[in-house]
Amino acid sequence: MSTQNTRVQEQLSKQPKVLWRNILVFGISAVIILFSLDYINYRGLTETGVEIAFNILKSVFTPNLPFLLNFTTKTGVPYLILETAAIAFLGTIIGSIISIPLAFLSSRNIVPAWFTHIGVAMITVIRTFPAVVYGLMFIRVTGPGAFTGVLTLAIASVGMVSKLFIETIEELDPGIIEALDASGCSGIQKVQYGIIPQLLSNFLSTAIYRFEINVKYATILGMVGAGGIGAPLIFAINAYRWGDAGALLIGLIIFVLIVEAISTFLRKKLA
Amino acid sequence: MDKIKQFILPKPITLGNGKVVQPKMSPAIYVVPILAFITIYSVNLTKFKLETLFRRGYQFFVILDGMIPPNFAYFDKVWAPLVATIMMSVIGTLVGSILALPAAYLSSENMMKSKFVKFITKAFFSVVRTFPILVLALLFRIIFGIGAFAGTMAIGVFTFTIMTKMFYELIDTADMGPFEAIMSSGASRIQAFWSAIMPQLWGQYYSLILYNFEMNIRNAAVLGYVGAGGIGIILNERLGWRLYPDVGLILLVMMVTVYLIETLSRTIRKNLL
Amino acid sequence: MIQFQNVVKTYPNGVKALKGINLEVQQGEFVAIIGLSGAGKSTLLRSINQMHTITEGKLLVNGVDVSTLKGKSLRRFRRDIGMVFQSFNLVKRTSVIKNVLAARVADMPLWMSLLGLYTKKDKIIALEALDQVGILEKAYTRADQLSGGQQQRVALARCVAQQPKIILADEPVASLDPVTSNQVMNDFVKINKELNITVIANMHHVDIALKFANRVIGIKEGLIVFDGPSSKVNNQILKEIYGRELSDDELMEH
Repeated sequence: MSTQNTRVQEQLSKQPKVLWRNILVFGISAVIILFSLDYINYRGLTETGVEIAFNILKSVFTPNLPFLLNFTTKTGVPYLILETAAIAFLGTIIGSIISIPLAFLSSRNIVPAWFTHIGVAMITVIRTFPAVVYGLMFIRVTGPGAFTGVLTLAIASVGMVSKLFIETIEELDPGIIEALDASGCSGIQKVQYGIIPQLLSNFLSTAIYRFEINVKYATILGMVGAGGIGAPLIFAINAYRWGDAGALLIGLIIFVLIVEAISTFLRKKLA
Repeated sequence: MDKIKQFILPKPITLGNGKVVQPKMSPAIYVVPILAFITIYSVNLTKFKLETLFRRGYQFFVILDGMIPPNFAYFDKVWAPLVATIMMSVIGTLVGSILALPAAYLSSENMMKSKFVKFITKAFFSVVRTFPILVLALLFRIIFGIGAFAGTMAIGVFTFTIMTKMFYELIDTADMGPFEAIMSSGASRIQAFWSAIMPQLWGQYYSLILYNFEMNIRNAAVLGYVGAGGIGIILNERLGWRLYPDVGLILLVMMVTVYLIETLSRTIRKNLL
Repeated sequence: MIQFQNVVKTYPNGVKALKGINLEVQQGEFVAIIGLSGAGKSTLLRSINQMHTITEGKLLVNGVDVSTLKGKSLRRFRRDIGMVFQSFNLVKRTSVIKNVLAARVADMPLWMSLLGLYTKKDKIIALEALDQVGILEKAYTRADQLSGGQQQRVALARCVAQQPKIILADEPVASLDPVTSNQVMNDFVKINKELNITVIANMHHVDIALKFANRVIGIKEGLIVFDGPSSKVNNQILKEIYGRELSDDELMEH
């Protein structure tokens, strides 16, 4: 192998000079990270930190079984899970129903482009705020409890659901409607046979996906007082009642896994 | 029994040549009643009362009204928590995403041959993924004390589980051809993965990181509620004191920040793919 | 030298891909393997670097029993054997030089390959390999901006950068047009002669195989039915290998 090959040497000198770019990127990232570390203020584990971590782990394996398996009263874990599920379900349904007209009025193939901006702007603003913010606000309106959770989730869902609905609507295949038109269908028939079949499965899929997410948010909202499994959970953890916390966590884990499995299954069938 | 069936199923169609076609029953026949039942049950469970909403609904607008105009003077108190929120998201997202790389490798169908390892890793992540982020934040706050570190850990772990899933799904759809080529040249699996699969995926990986960062900025804002740092602490405090103009400012600041970050992220992501 | 001694390959589902192969290939030969799809060409080729494992018989490469290789010894062994694929198998999004440099990672410690720290020597080897196949000027172009023929030459350069003793080619020009195929096959011949690297190539197109290889092996249903110089291959022999007249598909230029 001759290393005297001048053409090779020439090419070698032509290699893109990335060294400085890499140093710059690395340098800036390092600065940002070091700066952030200062803000984040790691003070080490609290005195009982390690002990607590162990307790938490232990709790999941030694849950308060009577609490966990108490299917009869309203204070048992199963009832709390049911309540959480109901909050998520109702919130998803209401949110989806609200999103339908909102999405139609923001789709470029339904209304003129300038009009869509109104709806899109509204959706963007609604979407900015995390569910907890709405939760805290709604508690002032309808008090703590499951009802507030439902309203909060309904509003919180509108952001994502509307956005996905708009995508579905804008992807409507006009060809099908044209074909129906050409064969002499009336307006309503066109909607029934041309539009609804295309939309229905996507809408359902979106709603199911949002339900999965809402189940997790329902727990979080419970923590701020909006009903469901969240409130007992935060009380148990704050009071270091690890047996109860473990029971609640196990109930939560199993529930979420089941919901995820069903959701994935249903959405595959709808696709 | 047969009569009931005849009643429910759509009418069979008889063709001209005598063949009879039995159209399938639409699933709506059992889906709709089930949904209706669940809805009614849930309404009862959650004590959903439209009347209460109408009666007290105006309160929402009282709050809204109090927030406009926002109290701009409050801004100096908002600045520090805001920066903390952003930093929490930056570090949390980065750490979670970096750790997700080896984790995704261990979960990937394409890369790992041991069914056992894949199963254990996927099962572990599925379970951790079920924890809502506020629960993680609470647990970490108890372990590490009040402040932004707990929040960063929560975001880190949360992102870690989500990114791992998103990324191993990417790995499983990558082109295995170059991987086979590098393996046949005598490299180890990890080297072949790094030199043949990762170059295909870098753009999408960075895109996923930015997407998660967008989500995390919103999440980080609420972690303060359990004492895990960020803007959530003062938000909850001001709401509790009913100081709505201050709340208005906080929300405004959140809105602007989220908007800026989303726009920035969107532009970068367009150029990545 | 490559030695097949009564090599048999039976798949778990019972299919016998190789039914007793006896073959000897000396260093520096240029061998083409022809036969119907499914006759066993690919299996034979890939058993040489243990991409497929054999079930009976002995396969020796330069004195090493291939079946005994595992883990580190297998990787060491594969360093000396390069492979070229019908679908090129390049990483489309990266540059040509990065694709060729990937051949060097097997010799690098893990941490260096993770950071992409190729030495100057590595880069020169890669560039010289590109020069040998005549596309040095495309070194910093993205791989997917090249034509099919150019991409295959990059793949060949990637093999050469490994500095192997043997190159295995699995239908290397089957996806290319006649003109480009001739160019690429010429490159194979050049590498074979100048660097004394053994080349064993599965060929789909018989006319190309006969044109460029000096030794031809015909496989039918897992057995070698012809092994000799390409000059001796006539219609009678081809009929025996393929069991029928050649179809247009098996001729590149008709």
